[in-house]
Amino acid sequence: MSNVVVLDNGGGLIKAGHGGDRDPLVTIPNCLYRPLSSKKFQHPSPSTSEDLTSAAVRRPIDRGYLINPDLQRDIWAHLFSSLLHVTPSSSCLLLTEPLFTLPYIQRTTDELVFEDFNFKSLFVADSPSLVHLYEASRRPEGLVSKAQCSLVVDCGFSFTHAAPVFQNFTVNYAAKRIDLGGKALTNYLKELVSYRAINVMDETFIIDDVKEKLCFVSLDVSRDLHIARKRGKDNLFRCTYVLPDGITHTKGFVKDPDAAQRCFTVDDEGSTPQPSETEKDVVQIDGTEEPTSRKRIDMTKNEFDLTNERFLVPEMIFQPADLGMNEAGLAECIVRAVNSCHPYLHSVLYESIILTGGSTLFPRFAERLEMELRPLVPDDYQVKITTQEDPILGVWRGGSLLASSPDFEAMCVTKAEYEELGSARCRRRFFH
Amino acid sequence: MLCRTTCRFLVNLDHDWLELAVTQLDACFPDKGRSHDLRDLAHERESVSFTVAMEEERRMSTRTRKVAPKMVAALASSDNRTQAALARLEALENDNAGIEHVENHDDDDDASLDDDDDVYIQKKQLKGTKRKTRQAKALEDARKAPRSFFELLHEANLESLPPHVPSYLRAAVGPPSSTSRRHFCTVCGFTGGYTCVKCGMRFCSIRCQHIHDDTRCMKFVA
Repeated sequence: MSNVVVLDNGGGLIKAGHGGDRDPLVTIPNCLYRPLSSKKFQHPSPSTSEDLTSAAVRRPIDRGYLINPDLQRDIWAHLFSSLLHVTPSSSCLLLTEPLFTLPYIQRTTDELVFEDFNFKSLFVADSPSLVHLYEASRRPEGLVSKAQCSLVVDCGFSFTHAAPVFQNFTVNYAAKRIDLGGKALTNYLKELVSYRAINVMDETFIIDDVKEKLCFVSLDVSRDLHIARKRGKDNLFRCTYVLPDGITHTKGFVKDPDAAQRCFTVDDEGSTPQPSETEKDVVQIDGTEEPTSRKRIDMTKNEFDLTNERFLVPEMIFQPADLGMNEAGLAECIVRAVNSCHPYLHSVLYESIILTGGSTLFPRFAERLEMELRPLVPDDYQVKITTQEDPILGVWRGGSLLASSPDFEAMCVTKAEYEELGSARCRRRFFH
Repeated sequence: MLCRTTCRFLVNLDHDWLELAVTQLDACFPDKGRSHDLRDLAHERESVSFTVAMEEERRMSTRTRKVAPKMVAALASSDNRTQAALARLEALENDNAGIEHVENHDDDDDASLDDDDDVYIQKKQLKGTKRKTRQAKALEDARKAPRSFFELLHEANLESLPPHVPSYLRAAVGPPSSTSRRHFCTVCGFTGGYTCVKCGMRFCSIRCQHIHDDTRCMKFVA
């Protein structure tokens, strides 16, 4: 029984490993970067502690689709030989592709797999069906597996899809897409910080880190904006991030991690006097150095403050119209996706919404989504949102599960079949 | 350099229009180099390509012009405000904000001592070290550069599929149901109630307006 390589080819991160494992062996960024210290583009390594300041980036995937097969071939070659230690010619490949991939891109991917790497066979899956499979298997008595149906909301790097899945097949005609993802969020944060504090337009990885550590989703934007305006201690959201300087520390860090958590002390009733009282104690304990460090940004240390950007950046997914984009927000996207399905499915779909993808890791994402979705859904339907335990690896784990199923071998397209029939005929097997 | 910036954003890059613009520019700037600049810019890598339909009867010309799709909509309207707004949105999908122009030099001129770098650094061995003409260099760049997503999308011709077939274009979620939107001040991020008269960006107070005027009024506009 040949081994199966499960490869989740994402726009941001590549997750790769052997079928049947619980976790992928390798999770690296799907790009080549060139840090300031070197002149050539190099492969990212899983455990890197080098300085990624002003690293130029080349990505083979643009807007979610693979448009640069040469670059991808290079990345995969490095992945297979140095990181995974597999020989492609004796393995099957389970590859993920986004929905609605163009035929041209499908053809180039097939060429890449069969002709450049000589895999024995290939199976192409799309992310919603894998997520559904994984979630159904995790809870065999739950609604998802009994009804064989769920709505997968995938907020990835390049875009966000809301796709219903029925009987393990993605319902193609009902899937809806918002063209915003982690990349756009990071770029937006870069733009805001560059305009208001320090020019960080080149620092993709550093601002990614800032976004992951400091941004959260607010439940009430106007109230939070009001709080963010306040000065000094009353401003619960102000946080400083220190950029790396290459000498003392090569990675950036949040200046005061406890201060970053203060934003969660604001509760729904907006009772702000309470948090500020507890803060006074904190300030007194820390002594005299706290007030001075908060008053003045130390320009020599390359740091910047974030107040309202912390929650305005993820706000983009819920209301793209804030930026001027003529697209509906996530809640409406879900409603439109469900409405495009058969009416019998509506109630089941609303009860089994699964959130996946790296951009759902913002704190309070699910709460906010439920809050926005509830008014849009008819009263007799229940709305239940489940988050995966690990949204980034969710698709990979589904793939691993699929790869270890007994009839997986029969589903693949072998190299001989590909050479005889060509890419288009083989693709029809996969139904998408 | 004025020529370069104005030419970069030519509206309606129809072939005829392009020729007209070229002849006009030739008249304005008798320097011969200018019109070549224009043609090179047409080849130069931007985000999207447009196939130019010369006339109805003829085959669609495969000569591609590259303009970002949102920029086309923006440039089609001579309104500063839409231009600025759409240019900002287009900037959200960039990979490298400021380093783009340096890349080309590095790829071509970097002497690769490494064997496995010839994937990108496909050195064309010219006879002798003759300096490549601009046109040859542009052709080589066009051949080497991977086709952008919008080119592929356009070529796939998804509009011609029958309506029951799901496709990339039909999967887009579409406009929001209510056109009322919140406005945020572009300078400080809080609620912005006022609009700049010239470029249409929002601000919240006089202080923010001064900052906006000093720094980036009209900056995104061509």
